[in-house]
Amino acid sequence: MTKKSRSPYSAMHTGPGRALTAVYGVFALSATARAGYQLIREFDVAPIAYTLSAFAAVIYIVATVCLVIGRRISHRIALAACGIEFIGVIVVGILSYTHPEDFAKPSVWSNFGSGYGFIPLILPLIGLWWLIRVGRRANRD
Amino acid sequence: MRHLTRGSARHPENVRPVHDYTGAVFTVYTIVLYAVTGILTLWSIVETIRNRPAGKALLGATALLLLLLIVQLILSIATFGSTHDVDPLLYFGYVITAILVIALAGFWAFAELSRWGPGVLAAAGLTVVVMIERLDQIWQ
Repeated sequence: MTKKSRSPYSAMHTGPGRALTAVYGVFALSATARAGYQLIREFDVAPIAYTLSAFAAVIYIVATVCLVIGRRISHRIALAACGIEFIGVIVVGILSYTHPEDFAKPSVWSNFGSGYGFIPLILPLIGLWWLIRVGRRANRD
Repeated sequence: MRHLTRGSARHPENVRPVHDYTGAVFTVYTIVLYAVTGILTLWSIVETIRNRPAGKALLGATALLLLLLIVQLILSIATFGSTHDVDPLLYFGYVITAILVIALAGFWAFAELSRWGPGVLAAAGLTVVVMIERLDQIWQ
């Protein structure tokens, strides 16, 4: 912080972005813990659902780290992570209804994240909205 | 036979007083955890709405919850295996995740000088309320 001036993209994790980053952090931690447990203890029960759980955990970690870094490149990566996250929730949500046998055990994104109060469905939309807003401001300055 | 909320007392082989005592301690401790987490969460929501940054009192409450969760970890390590058939990976996974959530949320909240500092604590508090509920279910 002493050598370089703050990147305009550090706005990613200040103000409302502070709370957004915290929610992403909570999801990164809890999704990782849950996916870790599922992979170690009961992977054979629902391998597709649990692999997707692990994938979701990785996406949440990437998004959180990029929000915390708050620079131009991490802004791009965070946008991509939120996009993948939204597509993931939609695809897994649909698959969990069309192929319920592969989703016998719940994962973060199954049933559009209903097990987590639909936060997984709303979070990427808020994330994308916030990141686009921060990006526009950074370009204007 | 008094029916405690903890499952241990219901098992015929587990009716020795020491287990009843452990069960009662855990029940009381869970209620304390709920109360402290609930107060921290509601307080943080109120401060977010009032547009105040996180102050020293809120920092103290967060530290208290962190301390209580660490005590919970020590208590459950000390009594683990004495009364229950609980998967340690599942149980301690939750306890350690809850500790990490509160510790990291604390640092993250106090780096912010706006209403979103308490906002962070509110999000973390809500998460931990759910986690305490899950811990209670797993332990029973």
